[in-house]
Amino acid sequence: MAINPGYFIRETISSFRRNWVMSLVAVSIIYISLLLVGAFFLTSSVLNTIVSSFEAKVSVQVFVKDGAVPADVEALQANIQKIPNVKSIAYVTKDQALARFKERTKNSPQLVEQLRGNPLPASVEVALVDPRQVQTVVNAIVKDPLLAKVVKNPANPTQSDIRYGQNVVDNLFKATGVIRIFAAAFLILLLLVSLVLIGNTIRLAIFARRREIGIMRLVGASNWFIRTPFLLEGVLQSLVGSILAILTLLAAQAVIVPWLQDNLKFLPVTIAGATFAQLAGLLVLSGVLIGLLGSGTAVRRYLKV
Amino acid sequence: MISMKNVSKIYVPDKPPALSEVDCEIAQGEFVFIVGHSGSGKSTFIRLLLRELLPTSGQITVANQDVIHMKNAKIPFLRRNIGCVFQDFKLLPNKTSYENVAYALEVIGKSRHVIATQVPEVLRLVGLEEKTDSYPDELSGGEQQRVSIARAFVNRPPLLLADEPTGNLDPATSLGIMSLLNRINKTGTTVLVATHDREMVDSMRKRVIALENGKIIRDQSRGVYGYGD
Ligand SMILES: Nc1ncnc2c1ncn2[C@@H]1O[C@H](COP(=O)(O)OP(=O)(O)O)[C@@H](O)[C@H]1O
Ligand SMILES: [Mg+2]
Repeated sequence: MAINPGYFIRETISSFRRNWVMSLVAVSIIYISLLLVGAFFLTSSVLNTIVSSFEAKVSVQVFVKDGAVPADVEALQANIQKIPNVKSIAYVTKDQALARFKERTKNSPQLVEQLRGNPLPASVEVALVDPRQVQTVVNAIVKDPLLAKVVKNPANPTQSDIRYGQNVVDNLFKATGVIRIFAAAFLILLLLVSLVLIGNTIRLAIFARRREIGIMRLVGASNWFIRTPFLLEGVLQSLVGSILAILTLLAAQAVIVPWLQDNLKFLPVTIAGATFAQLAGLLVLSGVLIGLLGSGTAVRRYLKV
Repeated sequence: MISMKNVSKIYVPDKPPALSEVDCEIAQGEFVFIVGHSGSGKSTFIRLLLRELLPTSGQITVANQDVIHMKNAKIPFLRRNIGCVFQDFKLLPNKTSYENVAYALEVIGKSRHVIATQVPEVLRLVGLEEKTDSYPDELSGGEQQRVSIARAFVNRPPLLLADEPTGNLDPATSLGIMSLLNRINKTGTTVLVATHDREMVDSMRKRVIALENGKIIRDQSRGVYGYGD
């Protein structure tokens, strides 16, 4: 049997046009729900970059006593560099430390004026790959025999010679963990609600045409012949809805992100291109899938005649 | 072509059956009228043959196929051998006259070229060449009925069922349709017409099966409408 594939394309487009009210309703519902999902996805991604930037601030500082042997300091640095989970290390000289202090306190210059000489120690700053593992890294540094030669108080280095904000770190990670779980749970819930909503809209549109499906059966159309245009129509509606949602999000993002950056200078508000591509993929894919599933299951019910 | 054995149809339990213990055989190439008052079971008879309904009991074969135990996926193939003119027309509301008729050909995979030659021809035959691009809701009852007729035989099925095909037509058009059905029958197609149009039946002198309260009360070749009134 030579079925012309053009038939299904013509059939789908003309049906989309002739049932335009229902199509419009379906496309709008798909558009609005996917827009909500997308907006929340982007918001939580921005939130995530902000949270990550806080986490990235977690680092370890080892203060070097005045008069430590430079060779020992260098050897210690080399050892620390080898500890797993250490991303990078930097040596901050006494002069650099003083310069930083001056920069931080430039609003009250009398603080610096009172200083005699440079009381600030040099330090080794350790940045981490996973800030949550900070305690392990600290333990490894403490175990290093070279440490005793370099710091002021070798008997109890974690008291004053190594600083990494133990308590702050624990609380910070608890908070960021909760934020992430809530965001993910809410996103999944939102996605589910949208899918049900979209599925129902498509089912309703097909319910309105159940008599047509019955007639098609009675004049000898096979099930797939009836189903195909409906499936294509569901996919077309979902595609139009999701693409409109993506375009809206792109436009909104282009306005809102720079505004946030201007007004929240201390926070890193950005949306990575990859994140957006991921979102676009998620929206189109879930839209098309629900279009197929929704129209497929809905048509099936009326093919019993 | 058609065989019914002891066929009964009960729509609502505890109500009298719409068809009751009907037995009949219709051979290939016959022209048969099913007559009876409104509610006597004519439409039920036709709908059973199209497998739109299943009987409550009994056996039905159409074109050598057991209609009752047929798989859902096989039903379309049965129906492609049956053209049916429905009492309520059953036109697709979002399609023009042309597209409604073309649909019966698209369903069996005919090319656009074949469709483009056959559909206008059939529409001309039923006198609707002016209304090719009208939608069903822009057509009168009689015009919709003629679209339904055109769709039923555009693919030249071996069996044509017609439920009150002249019910909404003026006498002249009715006569035209009946002679059309007659011509179709002459080409070898089995034609079954349910009607309560007395003049039509009496003038054609074909086989008549008369129903009353779901029972066959008379079956005569070259018969008349009957019902002495
Ligand atoms: N879908 C249905 N549900 C219940 N009763 C029906 C249904 N269709 C028809 N009937 C009843 O069955 C009987 C026969 O109806 P029908 O076959 O339509 O008769 P006719 O076509 O001769 O007018 C009538 O009493 C009618 O009320
Ligand atoms: Mg009837």
